[in-house]
Amino acid sequence: MGLLDRLSGLLGLKKKEVHVLCLGLDNSGKTTIINKLKPSNAQSQDIVPTIGFSIEKFKSSSLSFTVFDMSGQGRYRNLWEHYYKEGQAIIFVIDSSDRLRMVVAKEELDTLLNHPDIKHRRIPILFFANKMDLRDAVTSVKVSQLLCLENIKDKPWHICASDAIKGEGLQEGVDWLQDQIQAVKT
Amino acid sequence: MAAASSSDSDGGRAESSEANSKWLDAHYDPMANIHTFSACLALADLHGDGEYKLVVGDLGPGGQQPRLKVFKGPTVLSESPLPALPAAAATFLMEQHEPRTPALALASGPCVYVYKNLRPYFKFSLPDLPPNPLEQDLWNQAKEDRIDPLTLKEMLEGIREKAEVPLSVQSLRFLQLELRDMEAFVNQHKSKPIRRQTVITTMATLKKNLADEDAVSCLVLGTENKELLVLDPGAFTILAQMSLPSVPVFLEVSGQFDVEFRLAAACRNGNIYMLRRDSKRPKYCIELSAQPVGLVRVHKILVVGSNQDSLHGFTHKGKKLWTVPMPAAILTMNLLEQQSRGLQAVMAGLANGEVRIYHDKALLNVIRTPDAVTSLCFGRYGREDNTLIMTTRGGGLLIKILKRTAVFVEGGGEAGPPPAQAMKLNVPRKTRLYVDQTLREREAGTAMHRAFQADLYLLRLRAARAYVQALESSLSPVSATAREPLKLHAVVQGLGPTFKLTLHLQNVSAARPIVGLRVCFLYNEVLYALPRAFFKVPMLVPGLSYPLETFVESLSDKGISDIIKVLVLREGQSAPLLSAHINMPVSEGLAAA
Repeated sequence: MGLLDRLSGLLGLKKKEVHVLCLGLDNSGKTTIINKLKPSNAQSQDIVPTIGFSIEKFKSSSLSFTVFDMSGQGRYRNLWEHYYKEGQAIIFVIDSSDRLRMVVAKEELDTLLNHPDIKHRRIPILFFANKMDLRDAVTSVKVSQLLCLENIKDKPWHICASDAIKGEGLQEGVDWLQDQIQAVKT
Repeated sequence: MAAASSSDSDGGRAESSEANSKWLDAHYDPMANIHTFSACLALADLHGDGEYKLVVGDLGPGGQQPRLKVFKGPTVLSESPLPALPAAAATFLMEQHEPRTPALALASGPCVYVYKNLRPYFKFSLPDLPPNPLEQDLWNQAKEDRIDPLTLKEMLEGIREKAEVPLSVQSLRFLQLELRDMEAFVNQHKSKPIRRQTVITTMATLKKNLADEDAVSCLVLGTENKELLVLDPGAFTILAQMSLPSVPVFLEVSGQFDVEFRLAAACRNGNIYMLRRDSKRPKYCIELSAQPVGLVRVHKILVVGSNQDSLHGFTHKGKKLWTVPMPAAILTMNLLEQQSRGLQAVMAGLANGEVRIYHDKALLNVIRTPDAVTSLCFGRYGREDNTLIMTTRGGGLLIKILKRTAVFVEGGGEAGPPPAQAMKLNVPRKTRLYVDQTLREREAGTAMHRAFQADLYLLRLRAARAYVQALESSLSPVSATAREPLKLHAVVQGLGPTFKLTLHLQNVSAARPIVGLRVCFLYNEVLYALPRAFFKVPMLVPGLSYPLETFVESLSDKGISDIIKVLVLREGQSAPLLSAHINMPVSEGLAAA
C-alpha cells in the first residue's frame, strides 16, 4: 500500500476490492452469470463447464469484485471449502428448472452453512434462482421454500429470480450484495 | 424392549435414519403408475445432451397395456404403446461414429425393438423354428377344406397334449377361441403358412471388442427355446448361438465378444450355467437348492438371490463363497456401482419394504421404503451420478440421490465373522514328540479309544460303589431315610488353640418333627479335647436349622491337624443316621507361640 494508493482510496477514486465465492451445482449457470456481469468487451462467447475454478473480476458502481467461480461438478465440490475463509460474500446459483436436484442443492447449501469457516460469520449470501426462462422453472419463492432459506437467521440473504443468458435480474442481485458489503465494512 | 433394540441394532447402524441418512429424497410419486421389474429399467443419455433419461418397459396395471415410458427428471418425457409385454430393456452403442448417442433395445415377445433418438430404428425377430409336421399337415387339410374347425381343434389339442414340438402361436390362439369364432379364424388364417417362433426371456449387453465405457456392444438374448444368442450391433445378425439345458431367466455377461467373454445364465430349473467364448454348451453348472430370483455380478463374484430368502456368492467357476440370510423374500436385485469410490455392491428389494445393500456378505445400508420395491436401478440420472431409482408394487416411483459425502462402511453386527475368529492362537510348534504321538494316535486310534472307554467304565463303577457304600453306612451329611430326613453342615471358627465348632442340623421333612437324636464326636484324644463328646439334640422342628455349638481345644503344639468325625445317631441304634468329617485347621495360636 503506497501513499498514492491510500490517497486515491480516500478520495474514492480507487474502488474497494472484495472477494466473492460463486457456488452452486453443475449446470446451474455460475459461469454464465459471472460472464454477463463482466464488461461487454470482456465477455466470452461460449461457456464451457468449469474445471476446478476460475478467477474473474468485475466492477460495480463502488466495489471491485474478485469472483472465485468454483466448478459445480460433484468431484470438484470438495474444493469449495478451501476458499470459504477468503470469501467476503457468497453467490449461490440454483437451476430453478432442475426439480430433481433441488435436494442436492439444499444439501450442499446446508453443508456450506454448517462449515466452521462460515457458520459464525455474518457473511451475506446472494441466491440466484436461475434459468427463469425455461418452461419448467419454479418461482424464486418456491426455490427459497425448497431450500428452506427462511431458516437462515444469522446471515443477510437475498434471492433473485434471474435469467443469466439475457442478463435479467443480475444487476438487482449485485446491487443488493454491494449494499450489504458496504454495510458490513462501515 | 431391550431385547428388541439389541436385535435390531445391527440393522439400525446401517439403516438410514432421517438425520444422518446417506440418501437425499429427490422424488416420490406413489401414483406414478409404473409396473415393471429391474430388467426393464435402463438409464442412458438418449439424446446426447448430457441429461440421462430413464427408460421403463412398463407392463401396465395387471399386465394389460404394455408401454414404453421415458422419464426426464421426475416427469414423463414420452410414452408409446408396445405390441407385447416387455421382457428386458437395455441401452447400448451401435457404432463408433459421433455423436455417440446410445440406442435403446427393448425385448418383447419374439422381437427386439431398437430405438435411436427415441425413434423406432430396427426390429429384430428371432428366426423361425421348424413347425410340427403334424400341425402343418392339419392346417394344409384345413386350407383345402377337407377338415372342419371342430375336428381341427380336437386334433390340435391331441398334438398339444403329447407332441414334443410345441404348437405355433396361430394354433394356440385358435384353441383359445369360442366355437362360433373358429370358422372365421380358420378362413382368415388357413392360407398363411404357420410359423413357430420362440420368445425372448432375458437380454443383456456384451462389449464387442473394447472394454471402454463407451464401446460398441452386442446384445445377448436368452430365449424360451433354451438358447443364448449374441447379435451383431450393426447388422443384427446372429454372431453366436449357444444352447442350455433349461430356459434362461437371468443373464450376467462380462468380457468382450471378440476377445473372451463369460456368460452366466440362471435358468428355470434352478441351475446357473457358465459359458465361455468357445463353448457351445455350459462349462460349469451351479446347482442351487432353490429357484433363483436375481443374478448380479460384483467384480468376479456372482451373487444369486434365491427364493429361500437368502443371497449366495459364487466364484465364476461355481464355488460357493458365502450365504447371507434375508429377513424377507427377495423381490428384485440389481447392481450398485459408485464409480467415484470404486464401489460395487448388490441391492436387494425385499417384501418387507426394505432395500438392503450388501458388499459381499457385509450389510452396508438399509433403505426403508413406503411400499415393497419391485424394481431397482442405480446410476447416472439427469445430471446426478449416484441416483437410485425404485418402483414399488403399487406403481410408485421413488428417486433417491446418494449424498456426495456419503461413504458406505461395513457396519458391525452380523457383518462378517466374529472378531474372535481373526485372533491368532498361540499354537505350539510341532515337536518330534508331537509328531510321534500323532502318528501313534492315527495308527492305534481304536485301541486307545477302547482303553479309555474301559477305564471310564471302571471309574464310574468305583464311583457308584463308593456312593452306595456311603449311603449304606450313612457316611454322607444328608440322611436319606424316610423317617429322619436330615441335613448336617458344620462350621469351624477361630484361630486356635480353641476352636468353636458349630453344627447346623436341619430337619428337611415336610411336617414331622424329629425327637430323640444324639450327636457323637469321634476324635483323636491326643490332639483334641472336647467338653462334651456326646450330647442330646433337642426336638427338631421341620425346616429350621439348629446351631449346636461346642468348643474344641487343640492339645498338640506341633502344628498338626486331624479329622473330627461327627455322627448323628438315633437313640437305641448303633448305626449312625448320618456322618460328617470335619477337617480341622492347624492351630495358629500355638504355632505363633
